[in-house]
Amino acid sequence: MLIRTPIDEATISELKIYDKLEISGTIFTGRDAALPRLVKLIESGRLEELGIDLRGSIIFHTAVSPAGIGPTSSNKHDIETSIPALSKAGVKIHVGKGSLSAATVEALKANNSIFAVNPPVTALLTSTIREKRVVAFPEEGMEAMHLLQVENFPAIVAIAHGESIF
Amino acid sequence: MMDLFEEIAERTAKTLVTASTTFRPDQMEAYRRAAASEKNPNSKWVLESILENAEAAERTKFPLCDDTGIPHVLVEIGDEAVLPAGFLKAVEEGVARGLRELPGRPMAVKGNDLERLSQSAGLYEDSGALLMAPVQVRRTVGDEVVLTVLMYGGGPEIRGKTLRVFHKHSADVVIEEMIAWGKEAAKLLGCQPCILAFGIGRSNLEAASLGLEAMAKGDFSRQSEIEQRITDGVNETGIGALGLGGNTTVLGTFVKVGPQRASGVRVVSLRTGCCFDPRRATTTFKFQ
Repeated sequence: MLIRTPIDEATISELKIYDKLEISGTIFTGRDAALPRLVKLIESGRLEELGIDLRGSIIFHTAVSPAGIGPTSSNKHDIETSIPALSKAGVKIHVGKGSLSAATVEALKANNSIFAVNPPVTALLTSTIREKRVVAFPEEGMEAMHLLQVENFPAIVAIAHGESIF
Repeated sequence: MMDLFEEIAERTAKTLVTASTTFRPDQMEAYRRAAASEKNPNSKWVLESILENAEAAERTKFPLCDDTGIPHVLVEIGDEAVLPAGFLKAVEEGVARGLRELPGRPMAVKGNDLERLSQSAGLYEDSGALLMAPVQVRRTVGDEVVLTVLMYGGGPEIRGKTLRVFHKHSADVVIEEMIAWGKEAAKLLGCQPCILAFGIGRSNLEAASLGLEAMAKGDFSRQSEIEQRITDGVNETGIGALGLGGNTTVLGTFVKVGPQRASGVRVVSLRTGCCFDPRRATTTFKFQ
């Protein structure tokens, strides 16, 4: 299924586990260092300081470096615990890898958000990037939050509407 | 002397780049076999993507995985070989050069002990600032020095463990425990098919070191009875590539059993390798 950002609620409602996605548009990146900081800004009502809009967005759990991009384990504490708050703030698709807990599955369902996975095929995933720039936390280096412009970025739905492949 | 230093450093750098960008023939063949026999279409897509990624990475000399890993080095020294002065310094230099050339992910953590623990002082921008792990050394026969570079990604470190197993005077007890560990770890890994590497020794250090040796020597086309039994046992879970279901949860298993202690305890070390493991390459020196 072709997905273009920003994503509306109806599109997410239609997606099911095992659906294959090809994403074009913009995706944010974040992992262990950036996502808890992003959640703190949301919780303190200071998200606008970053000048970004998370509504209808995608966050890919990856570093961004000269070595390319690739999913990191989403079930690491700093990443998985950020998913409920980010979903509430409007993130519609979280992309990473690895199984998530029952509590996270429920939080995704409550916010009509989903979790998708992709293989860590860095040489292929990096070739989908058309543009990239840092949008927050540059001091975190490769873990800084980036905005990527991508074309035909592949993923497969792993958790949606209370159902999980894991 | 300078020329020798340069030769060692350059060949180490090239070996690191090869380890990070290239599947070996036995690895390619294992994936081709797995993709051909995989019944689950989603898992088949993952296995074919991994093969396509390997071909692209080798062609463009780009990392197989963006987590380019922590360099680990195994040096096998022949009984009749003489190491030149400064050998390890040249290897360290080669590792740094290789990481810059690759390029490796710039993930060396700055700061003193407390700052490095909390990652509060930031990261080095220089890929080459990432130090290699303490070198492992083995004695071998002949007059050659064989250097193997292995790149250890982070995901497997979350799912690996080293722990005692009470064997109850039965190898089956140990092997069944290894299968149980493999099942538990494979479920959580995230980048299946996994490659399970085990070392079994008399101490935690020895077991982990033997596990590295298993990764350095393992061959997908030659699985021992123990290795095949563990692979088959974990594949019964049906977790499949990327957790999407199917019969390829484990691509292969590598086991190194070392000397054992007169005791009811065996120390087992597991590295739940990711789909690109073992990322390794070897170069051989013959110093006059």
